[in-house]
Amino acid sequence: MIVPVGALAALSAILFGIGLFGFLARRNLLLMFVSVEIMLNAVNLSLVGFSRHLGDPRGQGLALFVIAVAAAEAGIGLGLLLVLNRNAPGAGVADLNRLKG
Amino acid sequence: MQVAAFYAMAGISVLSALLAVTRRNPVHSMLWLLVLFVQVAGIFLLLGAEFLAAVQVIVYAGAILVFYLFVVMLLNLADEASLPRFAPHWPLAAVAGGACAALAWLVHDAVFSPAGDAAGAFSQGSPHGIGMALFGPFLLPFEVVSLLLLVAIVGAIVLMRRKGSGS
Repeated sequence: MIVPVGALAALSAILFGIGLFGFLARRNLLLMFVSVEIMLNAVNLSLVGFSRHLGDPRGQGLALFVIAVAAAEAGIGLGLLLVLNRNAPGAGVADLNRLKG
Repeated sequence: MQVAAFYAMAGISVLSALLAVTRRNPVHSMLWLLVLFVQVAGIFLLLGAEFLAAVQVIVYAGAILVFYLFVVMLLNLADEASLPRFAPHWPLAAVAGGACAALAWLVHDAVFSPAGDAAGAFSQGSPHGIGMALFGPFLLPFEVVSLLLLVAIVGAIVLMRRKGSGS
């Protein structure tokens, strides 16, 4: 008995919704990045599930690319966060209302 | 047996994701995120994607999460516990997230296109299968991703360089 692909897509949608809520609602930039990671994991689950369902390994290749993009995003995003913190302590997004550094 | 294990891991992952986005202490959020990553790796194993499960544990739980923890410790978030966790518009965000999660109810019983051949699916998650996909149809995207990682490295160095210290 294998895992039904519908249940996997449902889990993916629920995790994506949780990540979306966290990204929109959290006030702290760091926790917003955490929510993005949750959303990327949800997409990966969906990709791997359908790759299994369709018997096509290309979905898993795409999931690998998503992981690489997540690593790049974490590096740049957290670097930006540290620079912002150097200029104005705290990681709240509410005070980031100027483009000029 | 497999389906029961899947539902157990799915339940734990949803619970840990909820805790990760709602905890007040950022370190606690990171640790719940670690639980989520390990559960997702377990689901990958159940689906026969052994290579991706290993990458999930090594890259996500090993590298990215440790990086996040380092940043939590570099930032001074001592007053974080006394500030509100959510922005004032959080009910709207809850509606958006809930609407997205409600899609689960639609897709759970949806009829998808028929499954592919199970014989080909048997070995597709092995490093051999992934490698044949990466260096066959995905050769150009693979090279682009390596360029993307290089750009991220250079960008991080440029960002962290202090003004005036560059040549």
